[in-house]
Amino acid sequence: MRSSTKKIGYIGFALLAIIILFALVGPLVIPYDSSEQTGESFEAPSAAHWLGTNDIGQDILAELADGARTSLFIGLVTAILATSIGAFIGITAGYMGGLFETLAMRTIDIVLTLPFLPLMIVVAVYMGQSTWTAIFVITLVMWAGKARQIRAQTLTIKSLGPVQAAKAMGANHPYIFKKHILPGVFPLLIPQFVAAVNAAILLESSLSFLGLGNPLMKSWGSILYYANNRSAFLTDSWAWWIVPPGVCIVAVVLAFSFIGYYLEEKVNPRLSSYTVRKRTMKKERILPRQDDGNILSLEDVTIAYHHKEAVKNVSFTVEKGKVLGIVGESGSGKTTLATAINAQLSGSAAILSGAIYFNGENMASYSEEKIRSMHGREIGYIAQAAMNALNPVVKIKDQLKEAMTEHYKMSPVEINTRIVEVLHQVGLASRWQNAYPHELSGGMKQRVVIAIGIINKPQFVIADEPTTGLDVMVQVEIIELLQQLQQELQMSMIFISHDLPAVLRITDELIIMKYGYIVDRGPSNRIAKYSQHPYTRRLVDAIPTLPKPLLEEVLK
Amino acid sequence: MLEITTIEKSYGKEVQVLKNVSFSLAPSEIIGLIGASGAGKSTIGRILANLEVADKGSILFENQQLIKMSAKKRRQLSKDIQMIFQDPYSALSSRMTVKELIEEALLILKIESSKMARLTLIKEALKLVSLDPDHYLGRYPHELSGGERQRVGVARAIVCNPKLIVADEPTSMLDTSLRLELIALLKSLNEKKGTAFIFITHDIALTQNFCQRLLVLNEGQIVEQGSTEDIILHPKHDFTKKLLSALRKLEAREEVYL
Repeated sequence: MRSSTKKIGYIGFALLAIIILFALVGPLVIPYDSSEQTGESFEAPSAAHWLGTNDIGQDILAELADGARTSLFIGLVTAILATSIGAFIGITAGYMGGLFETLAMRTIDIVLTLPFLPLMIVVAVYMGQSTWTAIFVITLVMWAGKARQIRAQTLTIKSLGPVQAAKAMGANHPYIFKKHILPGVFPLLIPQFVAAVNAAILLESSLSFLGLGNPLMKSWGSILYYANNRSAFLTDSWAWWIVPPGVCIVAVVLAFSFIGYYLEEKVNPRLSSYTVRKRTMKKERILPRQDDGNILSLEDVTIAYHHKEAVKNVSFTVEKGKVLGIVGESGSGKTTLATAINAQLSGSAAILSGAIYFNGENMASYSEEKIRSMHGREIGYIAQAAMNALNPVVKIKDQLKEAMTEHYKMSPVEINTRIVEVLHQVGLASRWQNAYPHELSGGMKQRVVIAIGIINKPQFVIADEPTTGLDVMVQVEIIELLQQLQQELQMSMIFISHDLPAVLRITDELIIMKYGYIVDRGPSNRIAKYSQHPYTRRLVDAIPTLPKPLLEEVLK
Repeated sequence: MLEITTIEKSYGKEVQVLKNVSFSLAPSEIIGLIGASGAGKSTIGRILANLEVADKGSILFENQQLIKMSAKKRRQLSKDIQMIFQDPYSALSSRMTVKELIEEALLILKIESSKMARLTLIKEALKLVSLDPDHYLGRYPHELSGGERQRVGVARAIVCNPKLIVADEPTSMLDTSLRLELIALLKSLNEKKGTAFIFITHDIALTQNFCQRLLVLNEGQIVEQGSTEDIILHPKHDFTKKLLSALRKLEAREEVYL
């Protein structure tokens, strides 16, 4: 977690502690009853009345302390009610599905559209203005939003592996509920609860300020209501009559917001990020190098994630028009390397030493602007389609269009021509341009991802696990397609995979990585056969092969 | 032991994933379900593991009809039919230790009420999958490699001593060098404990030396079945030939590494 988030969290907790202390201790130590006249009207702050008095001579500090009790009481009770009702309905709807879910979701939709204030006025007419009316109405409008979010979370957990596994082991519903759904949803409930307290306190203050609260109970909103009615703004009394309750409301809202922000990041570690201080490169390192005819060369590159080195002292070159394969198992650093070459290392990763030269220029000297304009135009990136490389709600043609128009100004006719052309190149009929990704099979999606990678005719392409997650037949199609495109378009390419057979088929040179190091390298047509490196041998031996006779069988 | 007759399964009105599928399985037999993605092979596995319900047909497991069996009785049968999942990264809850993960199967199925007896079973299961219990019991999934996680998945499936294990592409998320190791592990379990396996995969090459019989599934139908050797050496159906020639092409530079 970032230290700034922690600080914000601590400030929130401290603020809340002060407010709670004030609510608990205040009414006990302040020597006045807030509902009785204990001084003159409109007394300015003095030693006797620290915050002065109101129009009927009641002590404002005593009013504030009572108001703190009211606010916290209504906030907590409402939040408990709204969160538990929301959780119950959300979890049940998400877990059970079916008719209950449909009914619950439609009800939630209706409740979410209810206008809060008119509802409050109508209900107050029937139930009378009381604290419980306020609690009832605030709960009524608040549970629905909670229920909706909690249902979404439940649906996610329900579809996850552990729940499926438990079912396959024969678990009944109560077990799955207790062991998997509740523990999964619970972390989400805490920030939801805090946000609910916050919203409830704010709503209660607004209600009281509008005169819809319980007239017999002091609350910060009602103090403001009376101050406003007695035209406190026209006299000096606003300074002690309006500012203090205002400050209290702001303080409590801030406290809960800070705590909520802190908890949210705590239960959702993805929101937090680490930063690595990037070592400044020595100046002579950044100087452009003489062009040696290679499209890409890496010199002694070391890359670290969270201070852990993921790529260690890696050097290699890619000749123009050639294909280099990088093979390694998960964790070998190959994807980190590809990300670095594509100049897309995120905040937590950095090149610690060494240099990457693209067309003879050191990429460390590139501006962000230059890097942006390079992406897709000079360096094409083909990701693994199975890993959500496509936006599910955007039509294929619009995703292709976006990849082009980021770089070029083109007329609609030119764009359409190019889209049809590139789809044809990757073997897709032009009618697919109007489809959404979910309408395509895995292989077709991978073809679209390839189309996006080559649409701007880059001279260099990085293909990162383009065959992973596809079945054997589709794998072959994709490899053949890449091979054919590479030759037609004279592209240089890096092909990354953990699948040695796939890589051997398409590459000219091969490097084999393990634990961030290059452990073996050589021409693809020799390395698998002649390499004596034990790790290479292990990878080669692990390739299951079909018995020989099949070859003749298939060829005849 | 298992006799599946003409089962069908559709999602919605239009998508029929299984058409008229019938096959049988003898005790301790290992069969491979082969097919492209979307062929319906995982659906068969999920039906056997009680994660889906077949629309029609009959599934006899040791002379008990699984279709139309009461939910409670069907759940209890999970003791005899366990499943190994494709993705070792998501099938194990990140909140539980290896011990708790394996114990979960015992608790759910109410096998062994004493803690000590359960621990003995858990340790035995870990030893069977070649993980040292002392070293692994207290670890969390994120501290394990992909191969180790899949072994925990296997340990969890065998701890209740099932008669049949459905392994749904258990190797596809593993690195190449770990695939054959896992297959070897499953084979050793078959030899030691007599567990029958249904091995679901799109990679025929992996079924050699493991599956005794293969069923080739295409678009929800079994198009060919026979001994593993027969299917690999003398495929009859066009689809099987296509599948094999695809594999062949991947190995086209086979001379390079043999």
